Amino acid sequence: MALSTTIGSKRGENGGTGYLVPAFSLVLLFFVVPVVMLLLRSVTEPELGLQNYAALLGSTTYLRIFVNTFAVAGLVTVISVLIGYPVAWLLSIMPDRWSRLVLAIIVLSMWTNLLARTYAWMVLLQRTGVVNKTLMSLGLIDKPLPLVNNLVGVTIGMTYIMLPFVILPLMGVIRGIDPAILRAAALCGATKWQCFTRVLLPLSLPGLAAGALMVFVMSLGYFVTPALLGGTANMMLAELVAQFVQSLVNWGMGGAAAFVLLVVTLSLYAVQLKYFNPYRGA
Amino acid sequence: MTDAFLSIRGIRKAYGAVTAVKNVSMDIAEGEFMTFLGPSGSGKSTTLYILAGFQDPTEGDILIRGKSLLSTPAHKRNIGMVFQRYTLFPHLTVGENVAFPLRIRRRPKSEIIERVRAALKLVRLEGLEDRKPANMSGGQQQRVALARALVYNPPVLLMDEPLSALDKKLREEIQFEIRRIHQETGVTILYVTHDQEEALRLSDRIAVFSQGEIDQIGTGKELYANPATLFVAGFIGDSNFIDAEVIAVDGANAKLALPGGVQVAGVPVHGTARPGAKTSLMLRPERIDIELGTRPGHLSGTVADITFLGNNIHLVVAHERAKPISVRLPFGHSALDGLTSGTKVTLHFNPESAHGFVDASTSGNG
Amino acid sequence: MLLDFDKLGALKPFLVGLTAIVCLFLVLPIIFIAALSFGSSQWLIFPPPGWTLRWYHELFADPRWLYSALTSLKIAAIVTVLSVVIGFLAALGLNRGNFLGREALRALFLTPMILPVVVLAVALYALFLRLGLAGTTIAFVIAHLVIALPFSIISIGNALEGFDKSIEDAAILCGANPWEARLRITVPAISHGIFGAAVFSFLASWDEVVLAIFMASPTLQTLPVKIWATLRQDLTPVIAAASTLLIAFTIVLMLIAALFHRRRKK
Repeated sequence: MALSTTIGSKRGENGGTGYLVPAFSLVLLFFVVPVVMLLLRSVTEPELGLQNYAALLGSTTYLRIFVNTFAVAGLVTVISVLIGYPVAWLLSIMPDRWSRLVLAIIVLSMWTNLLARTYAWMVLLQRTGVVNKTLMSLGLIDKPLPLVNNLVGVTIGMTYIMLPFVILPLMGVIRGIDPAILRAAALCGATKWQCFTRVLLPLSLPGLAAGALMVFVMSLGYFVTPALLGGTANMMLAELVAQFVQSLVNWGMGGAAAFVLLVVTLSLYAVQLKYFNPYRGA
Repeated sequence: MTDAFLSIRGIRKAYGAVTAVKNVSMDIAEGEFMTFLGPSGSGKSTTLYILAGFQDPTEGDILIRGKSLLSTPAHKRNIGMVFQRYTLFPHLTVGENVAFPLRIRRRPKSEIIERVRAALKLVRLEGLEDRKPANMSGGQQQRVALARALVYNPPVLLMDEPLSALDKKLREEIQFEIRRIHQETGVTILYVTHDQEEALRLSDRIAVFSQGEIDQIGTGKELYANPATLFVAGFIGDSNFIDAEVIAVDGANAKLALPGGVQVAGVPVHGTARPGAKTSLMLRPERIDIELGTRPGHLSGTVADITFLGNNIHLVVAHERAKPISVRLPFGHSALDGLTSGTKVTLHFNPESAHGFVDASTSGNG
Repeated sequence: MLLDFDKLGALKPFLVGLTAIVCLFLVLPIIFIAALSFGSSQWLIFPPPGWTLRWYHELFADPRWLYSALTSLKIAAIVTVLSVVIGFLAALGLNRGNFLGREALRALFLTPMILPVVVLAVALYALFLRLGLAGTTIAFVIAHLVIALPFSIISIGNALEGFDKSIEDAAILCGANPWEARLRITVPAISHGIFGAAVFSFLASWDEVVLAIFMASPTLQTLPVKIWATLRQDLTPVIAAASTLLIAFTIVLMLIAALFHRRRKK
């Protein structure tokens, strides 16, 4: 047994703490420090005080952006979960041949460049795009629907990106459930619906909660897709931060908005760590 | 101290509040096969790792041929080691595994090929240079590890429970191989195990470890016949322990009072013996003789179990006031005729072959 | 019964149908872009009236596109090397070290991966402005390194967990000094982890958009930045061509990784 790893270590010979210095310096200097500095700017520019936060949380324009961000994130999460759960379910029990194909498609879509995928939806959803043309030729509508630069476009685009992040963890969890349990439930006389609501759903809840939370948090902080597919009416928080910093060069407000985003994200993770720990033992 | 080949002096290893090795010292002769024997946690593996160079001792020193080893880093100590898990390099073939130490030492290629061949021949795996470890059995892998440890002719070979992962029959086979290789090469071996049978089979001398200290060092025979402590007596071979009390002391012997009013004089005793001191009387099962019926003044009991074990019979004799006593009789012993469960028997033994171990906590400051 | 594929009854067509639609949903846009890149319509009419390679010609003829692709490649390559080396050291330290706060440190290293990138982008932008490094390659590399490193640490860390350290110890006893043992024995044994670290680090940098937007300057743009800038102006099919190339590149990389993975398993 390599005692040297478990009980103390000879200095330097076993990968001592010195090896952590490069990574630590990098993370400290170029992650922790800049973020803290940004936070400091939010309370010192243009003058010392919390006036940036007051402006941010007090004005209706900004509040609307906050609400919109949460609303979109929530909407995307709900839709992704509703669509993703059945897919994850089927994936867990499909024969290998097909599940490998479906998985390959999901992984491929995840790794495909974000901009490329968003661009695809920009083209598909435009007034003269395929979606509108198909709907018109099917006679469902007589004028093209505005599908981009609004909530619809953002939701479709973001759901497209978030689906794999719900499906994959959920699939992992459902795969871990012993089918015998469901069979036992059926034998006990439960109907399909009861089996689902009383057995399958509760057992898969940890994976579901984890995936949903992850999607929600990611959607909150998303920048590219909302900026391209959304309009100015439904700007989200990330774009607000960018606008403060790039267009308006208002570091105080930009820092404040960034910090709000940061705090919300961290709090949600803390909640997840406390209540849902599907990947630790269980 | 003398100019022993390998000298371990006062080694102590403490991790904060825990002391794994309290005080280990011994001298080992060149070419000797020394076994560290003891239960897990007794400090034997830690001592071995200090020798290998993977741990620094808190105190103490280790000398080879009079020169201290501690200032040399592990990779320069030129010591061979075989672990419990085979630790062959998975991405190299058998030949490349065995050649590795020679490559590191930058030996010329022709020499490497020759020495690898010789090493594999030593462990009886010649011709298998191109196999990958994953395609070999546990026993074969361990032999490759042995070849790799010996190919650079180290003065000392360390072995940390190398056979624990193998099944019994394979273990015995490789024990035989290890003994043979020891005789052929003459390398000094330090072997760690918790299996006393293995220790007895392989070693020249055995050091019995208990709670970070050495209770006794000696040949197997010495440890068996004259155990110095209760622990050694119980760890090596089978033994019975009967609660007794000292009545009188006579030099190195004592007169003990046994349960049931029996008294025995002339028992070699270890520890500070005083009248009234609580003592454990140790008896080896094969040193007890049986007589049918009871006799006053002698230990007696009722036969509770009889097991036929081939060349000997194992009896368990229940005693009213002591734990059941284990007795071994050779096949064909006269008392065995008509012996059944429930028979009353008297136990006879020679006091000189027994040992008394004074309970350290009741003998006062000793 | 609900987890037995053959016993789903009426649920089966529903689940299968939904999954099929989702798969189409996921795949069609990608195919769509590829098709568009060869279509002759400048307004991205689908189905295209004709087929052409015009957009690819435009793409390759425009030095700015080529330059941005090379910049992406250069930065991704540098980031990959740095990420693997620093990640290897960090994973070693985390795996072997036994000190107070080790888990906290591990969590700290992984944090850049889970926090909104825009916060980091803005913070680094501010820092580099102050240091006079805004728009330089160094700043770009550092920014990407921060988010690539967690992938590297995770990949190599996992491989190290499955590696028996006694093997490295045995190499040391054979006479190899600690770094010799690591490079000759440990690294080959965890090569799949190192390879994974390299691939993930590369892709993390190559595909990265948000940080790139903030680190870029008019003279220093990666491919995603160029696409983003062009997208804000119009939807020319040249973007479709660039996107198709990006997708193809990713697919090739994934195939290589999969092949390597399968060969290792043998």
